[in-house]
Amino acid sequence: MNAETPVHRMRDSSIPLVFAGFVLLVGLLAPLLANEVPIVARVGGRWYFPAVADCFGQPSAGPGDLAWKQWWSRLAADSPDFAIMPPWPYGPIETDSALFRAAPSVAHPLGNDDTGRDVLSRLVHGARTAVAIAAPAVLLAGLLGTLLGALAGFFRGWVDLVVLRLVELFLCFPTLLFLLFAAAFFGDSRGALILMMASMFWISFARIVRGELLSLREREFVLVARGLGVSEGRLLRRHLLPLAKGQIAVTAAFSMASAITTESTLSFLNLGPGSVSWGAMLRQGSQLAYLGAWHLWLFPALTIIAIVTCCHVLADRWRTPRPA
Amino acid sequence: MRRWLAMRLCWLVLMLLGITFVTFVVLDLAPVDRAALEVARAAQTSPMPDAQSRDAAILRLRIRYGMVDEATLRPAPVLDRYLAWLGRAATGRFAGPNEDHAALWHRLGEALPVTALLGFLSLLVAFLVGMPLGVQMGMHPGGRCDRLVSPLLFAVGGVPEFLLATLLLLAFSGAYLQWLPANGLRSNGSEHWTFVEQVVDFGLHLCLPVAVMSVGPLVLVTRFLRASVARTLETPFAVNLRALGIEPSIVRRRLLVNACAPVVTLAGSLLLMLVGGSIVVENLFALDGLGHLLYSAVTRQDQAMVMALVIISSVATLFGLLASDLLYRLVDPRVRLSS
Repeated sequence: MNAETPVHRMRDSSIPLVFAGFVLLVGLLAPLLANEVPIVARVGGRWYFPAVADCFGQPSAGPGDLAWKQWWSRLAADSPDFAIMPPWPYGPIETDSALFRAAPSVAHPLGNDDTGRDVLSRLVHGARTAVAIAAPAVLLAGLLGTLLGALAGFFRGWVDLVVLRLVELFLCFPTLLFLLFAAAFFGDSRGALILMMASMFWISFARIVRGELLSLREREFVLVARGLGVSEGRLLRRHLLPLAKGQIAVTAAFSMASAITTESTLSFLNLGPGSVSWGAMLRQGSQLAYLGAWHLWLFPALTIIAIVTCCHVLADRWRTPRPA
Repeated sequence: MRRWLAMRLCWLVLMLLGITFVTFVVLDLAPVDRAALEVARAAQTSPMPDAQSRDAAILRLRIRYGMVDEATLRPAPVLDRYLAWLGRAATGRFAGPNEDHAALWHRLGEALPVTALLGFLSLLVAFLVGMPLGVQMGMHPGGRCDRLVSPLLFAVGGVPEFLLATLLLLAFSGAYLQWLPANGLRSNGSEHWTFVEQVVDFGLHLCLPVAVMSVGPLVLVTRFLRASVARTLETPFAVNLRALGIEPSIVRRRLLVNACAPVVTLAGSLLLMLVGGSIVVENLFALDGLGHLLYSAVTRQDQAMVMALVIISSVATLFGLLASDLLYRLVDPRVRLSS
């Protein structure tokens, strides 16, 4: 129909998928990509991996009384000690008093915030916060919703009735309201927030999968499979659910977009669990905009818009089969 | 019809029970002690002499909020407390057993009109703009209007509300242009102005919040109508009407009646959207509505207020859904006859 709009031209490009994968990867590996502590360091014959430790918790303290960064900058050229720093050697909470609200420069391409923290590094770690909340939440919601939706659509009867009523119940919950008080009352508990988010998002998976299975179970190949003696469980697992895969992917992309939106909304309202988050950066940036620090709101805003739009483009692409 | 309505009302009550129970349990699970928190806050201004009197103060507050049983001084089981709360709530007393109910109702009563006004205006804008736009796009799929607006809707629909609000604030009433007021509903000292000036001032204050809140509903309504109109265009009856050579304006009217009726089914999702939107918008534009009340209740961990707000928003949503079903049955005889 309207084949020439930019949105539809985007359909066939690989940019959205590559970008989404890139953000996911950056989110997973953030402490190894941008950090003020080295990935590998050898100090006096002992090996340290502080950035790797940062992926799972706190990095180990630097050698002696020095922070890792000080030790690294004072390292003599002929010293037997050495360190491999991450590709972007600035941490998300590493301050620099010489660079308060510094505009983008060659050394810091996205500038520095009001305490001299590097914006690029904070964006990278913000991706980590977003991925750490959104990915498990969507995964959990997808598993639960697919399971319940499949059972309801395939077996009908009382299972269907119960699942439908549950879906109706959860449909009436105001998502943001619920997550707001979850975020506030459970404090910094990331797990509670993920659980809450999953319990809000599973309904869309359940509805989609149920609808798909309702039409699939009437198809002739199901009759043939039953006639050949395929068990019900195997029929559902091996023959029906794979056919609903496309719809599940669409729902996952949409849920991912709303999970990231919700996470950044919560942190924008000062309620999110992560310390470094895109939403919080945007709030801070918009409060400092009157001082001329345009880079503090522009880059977080662009990042959020890019990732959310990317999820929507993917969902749109997977929903309608590619024209032959 | 009457039987259907009775069934729906029963179901509505059951849903309300379900929603309040889930909310109550989740609030109960939260590792938050409102009494201890309040005593700690009081201790900052006037230091408590010793631990014993502090414990006594906490216990007094716990009894006041209904967190422990008055006779045994132990926390009652969740179900008992939920039933007790339900009994109080049924008579409109949402706060703890010994708390000031009038104060809570007073705050709700002050906040409700603000949110209702915001919601009404943004729905009005969404429908006034979205209906003609969606119809135009649906009547000529792939036409100039469709090609221009579709990607725009796609782009705007992906921008989170808080982000849109921040960008608009920055652009029009912040660092770059100072065209519109940024917070509150009226300017300082406006009570001495003439009536016309006050109305204009009020309107200017509403511009940005309503703009932000109407974007989500606008995108939803426009997309829905575009699809609905385009679908109706392909139906046999529409093709038949055109083939008979009936005047285009009459065909158009018959088409639109059929295509626009299902729009009432959007009421539920629109209401939920407004609830979410009002939290963000009222917080950002410093409007004293329900969303702002919720945010402050959440940050002060005031569970009674949160429960009251959950009930208000879910009652609104449930009645919205009921009203949309009812309207749909009224405007579309096919739905009425099929059930």
